[in-house]
Amino acid sequence: MIIESSDQVPRVTLLKRFPVPRNFEVSPESRIEPGRTWPAPNGSLRLKTFEIYRYDPDTGGNPRLDTFQVDLDDCGPMVLDALFWIKNNVDSTLTFRRSCREGVCGSCAMNIDGTNWLACTRFIADTEKPTTVYPLANMEVIKDLVPDLSHVFAQYSLIEPWMQTKTPRPEKERLQSPDERSKLDGLYECILCFCCTSGCPSHWWNGDRFLGPAVLLQADRWLVDSRDEATSERLDALEDPFRLYRCHTILNCTRTCPKGLNPGKAIADIKKKMIERRS
Amino acid sequence: MKRQDMRSPLGRVIGLGSAKDGVGHWWLQRLTAVALVPLTIWFVASIIAHTASDYERFIAWLSTPLTTTFMTLLLIAMFYHTALGLQVVIEDYVHSAAKIPLLVAMRLGCSALAVAGIMANLRIAFVR
Amino acid sequence: MANSQRKRSRPHSPNIQIYRPQLTSVLSIINRMTGVALSAVAVVLVIWLIAAASGPQAYTIVQVVIASRIGQIALVGSAFAFFLHLCGGIRHLVWDAGLGFELRTIYISGWGVVAASVMLTLLAWIASLYVAG
Repeated sequence: MIIESSDQVPRVTLLKRFPVPRNFEVSPESRIEPGRTWPAPNGSLRLKTFEIYRYDPDTGGNPRLDTFQVDLDDCGPMVLDALFWIKNNVDSTLTFRRSCREGVCGSCAMNIDGTNWLACTRFIADTEKPTTVYPLANMEVIKDLVPDLSHVFAQYSLIEPWMQTKTPRPEKERLQSPDERSKLDGLYECILCFCCTSGCPSHWWNGDRFLGPAVLLQADRWLVDSRDEATSERLDALEDPFRLYRCHTILNCTRTCPKGLNPGKAIADIKKKMIERRS
Repeated sequence: MKRQDMRSPLGRVIGLGSAKDGVGHWWLQRLTAVALVPLTIWFVASIIAHTASDYERFIAWLSTPLTTTFMTLLLIAMFYHTALGLQVVIEDYVHSAAKIPLLVAMRLGCSALAVAGIMANLRIAFVR
Repeated sequence: MANSQRKRSRPHSPNIQIYRPQLTSVLSIINRMTGVALSAVAVVLVIWLIAAASGPQAYTIVQVVIASRIGQIALVGSAFAFFLHLCGGIRHLVWDAGLGFELRTIYISGWGVVAASVMLTLLAWIASLYVAG
C-alpha cells in the first residue's frame, strides 16, 4: 500500500478504473471496438494473454482491442520482448516505437495495465492477467501504439530549452561550481518519454494550454541552471493561469516516471520562485 | 468537412501568449486556506459545544464581540477561498462560451452570500 | 467534385476510461469533490445564520430539519467532507512549502489524511453526543 519508488508495481488493486462509462467523453472515431483474437502458438506450456490496442489508418474504421497469446518460454522477460515476439510470430503489422531496449531513449513509452511506463523496463511477470497495452493516454494515435507527439514537443520548444545569456562569451567555458551543478540533478535526466504528461488529468482536460509535467520539469532545469541568464523572461513566459497554474499537485507524474524523477517537486519549485520574485 | 486548423503546432501552443499573471490567485488561495484552518476548527468545535443549547443561549453566544469577529473573518475567508476554488474548477471543466458568465455568476454569488452572512451576524449582535 | 479525399481524423487514445486510479489521483479528486460539496454547505450555513437572525420561529424550522434523519446524515457527511478537505488541504500546504514530495512520503501522508479524517469525524460525532447528554 505504501509505494517507495515509481518502479514498484501495486500489489493491491481496489479500483481497476475510475467509475465512468466505458466511452465517457469519447469521440465517435476514438471508440474502441472488440477486435480479433489471434491463434495461440502450438505446443507451448506457458502462455500469457495480451490485449493490445490496434488502429490502422490505411483501412480506417475505429480502433480495436486485439487478443494475443504469447509463449513465455520463447520470449524475453520484458513487455517490449512480448511485442517483438507478436510482431515476429503472429502479426507483423503490429506497430510500436522502440530503440535502445534499456530504458534510456523513451521511445517505447506506452500505457501498460493502466499506468504509463516504458515497455522495455516492465517485466511481463509484473503485469496482470491479461496484460492490457494501450498507447500513451490522451494522445492522437498515428497507428497501433504510436502516438503523435508533435503537440507536446511544440510545448517543449515553447519554453526555449537552450542556454540564453546576456554576458559575452568567456575565453573558455562558462564556469559552474559542483554545488551549482548538483542543482541540475533530478532534472537533466529526463528522457522526454512523456509518460508523466500523458498521465496528468489536468493535461487531459486542458492539454492544449497546460504545458504538462515533462515540459515544466525542463523549464525548471533551465531556471536552476546558474549559467542561464534569461530567468526573468522564462518566469514571465510561465506565469499564466493555464501554462503553469493548471497544476493542482495531483502527482500522477511523480508516481509514473520510469526514470524515477520528480516533476511534481520541480513544478512546486517553479511556483516558489514565482512567489519569491515578488516578495 | 471539418474546418481545419492550419496553424503550426508551435503556433497553436503559443496561443495568445502568456498572461504574465497568476501568482496572485495562487497566493490568496493559500493565504485564505491558512486563515481557514484555525477559523473552521474554532467554528466546528463551537457548534459541537452548543449541540444542546436552546435559542437564547445560542443567540447570546453569537452576540459576543469575539464570536462576531471570528464569524465575520470566517465568512470572508471561507467565501473568498470558495470563490477562488470554484473559479479553478470552472476553468478546468468548462470550455464553452458559458465559462465567463458562469465565472461572473459564481463570483457575484459568493460575494452576496458572504455579505448576507455578515449582515445576519451583525443583526444578531446589535439589534437583538 | 474531383478527388475529394477527406483526411480522416485520428482517434485519441483513452485516458480516464482506462487509466489506473492511484492514491495520488484519487485523493486529489476527493479533495476537489469535498471542496465543491463544502461550497454547498457554506450556502446552508448562511441560510442558518439568517434564520437565527430572523427569530426563534425561523430558527426552529432549521433546527427541525437538521434534527431529522436526512439532516443528521447530511451533517455527518458534511463533517466527513470537511475533515477530508481540511487534512487534504494541510497536505497541499506542506507541498506548497516544497516539502514531502518523495513517493514514500506522498503515500504515507495520503493514507494519514484518510485515517485522520475518519478519526476526527468519529471524534466530532462522539463529542456532540456527549454534549447532548
